[in-house]
Amino acid sequence: MNHPPDTAAAGNGGTFDPRQAAALLNQTTQQARRKFQPSPPWLLATRAVLVLAALGAIWLSVRGQHPYRGPTAADIPVLIGFIVLNFTATVAVRRRATAGVTGRSRFSQGEIMVLVAAFVATVVAMTALGVAGVSFAWSPTTVLVIPGLAWAAISAARANWVEFGIGLAIAALGVAGAFAGPAGSWAVAAVGLCAVLLGNAAAIVWQQRA
Amino acid sequence: MNDDGLDPLIHVPTRLKIVATLAALPDGDTLSFTRLQDMLELTPGNLIIQLRKLEEADYISSEKTRNGSVQKTTVALTKQGREALGAYTQALRNLLGGL
Repeated sequence: MNHPPDTAAAGNGGTFDPRQAAALLNQTTQQARRKFQPSPPWLLATRAVLVLAALGAIWLSVRGQHPYRGPTAADIPVLIGFIVLNFTATVAVRRRATAGVTGRSRFSQGEIMVLVAAFVATVVAMTALGVAGVSFAWSPTTVLVIPGLAWAAISAARANWVEFGIGLAIAALGVAGAFAGPAGSWAVAAVGLCAVLLGNAAAIVWQQRA
Repeated sequence: MNDDGLDPLIHVPTRLKIVATLAALPDGDTLSFTRLQDMLELTPGNLIIQLRKLEEADYISSEKTRNGSVQKTTVALTKQGREALGAYTQALRNLLGGL
């Protein structure tokens, strides 16, 4: 396509060297990808460390329980604090990244409903399993199965195969934890979620540099 | 096209930054004028001028909506704009590879 020459070719007059253009294109692209990223690698890495610390601390607290009684009164604030901090930070960072953006970068109403339904279904399922006397009903990893599958389904619909893999990995953790016993499932959750989050961070860094 | 094959519409620092920023969004996503201005640290007047040139060439599309007394403008890279950026990027690679 032919266009009339721009009298301000360099934006402020002067020529715009192709090497400068390439550097500017690369820099701008990288910066934009970072600013639009709703789950930046630094947040995922921080979350990985916190989940390892929080769930690992609970495992250390419960591993000597015979019989297993679950998290102690001192553990509950740690768990709740982590959940609240994680949720708050996730929402705040996502909101900042998607500010002014409309379209697929944001969750649709349908996707939000699927995620909410997944957590409701989890509570219902865990309650039913508990009533039925299933040993892993209230294990921390059991809560990961349905939301993990829901995330995988949403990601597949978006053709986001990295997140699809993340969702499947989280669901698999949920299943693996059922075989680790009630105390061991805290360790499975701690180490497994830490690894998944770090892997997710690494995948995003690799994508942003591609 | 310039003699070196670079699209003169994109081969301007400000417009290159605009197109590259919009290209970082998924196809079909739009970005508010305010957010784009904030990201590129441009004055509103300068941004409007550059967006107009890109829109005249159908590289971007813009939409104005009104929410009460507040007017909101959103912009997006068109299919033609993405193709033009792709061609520009390839022309840069060819040019720099030959230097």
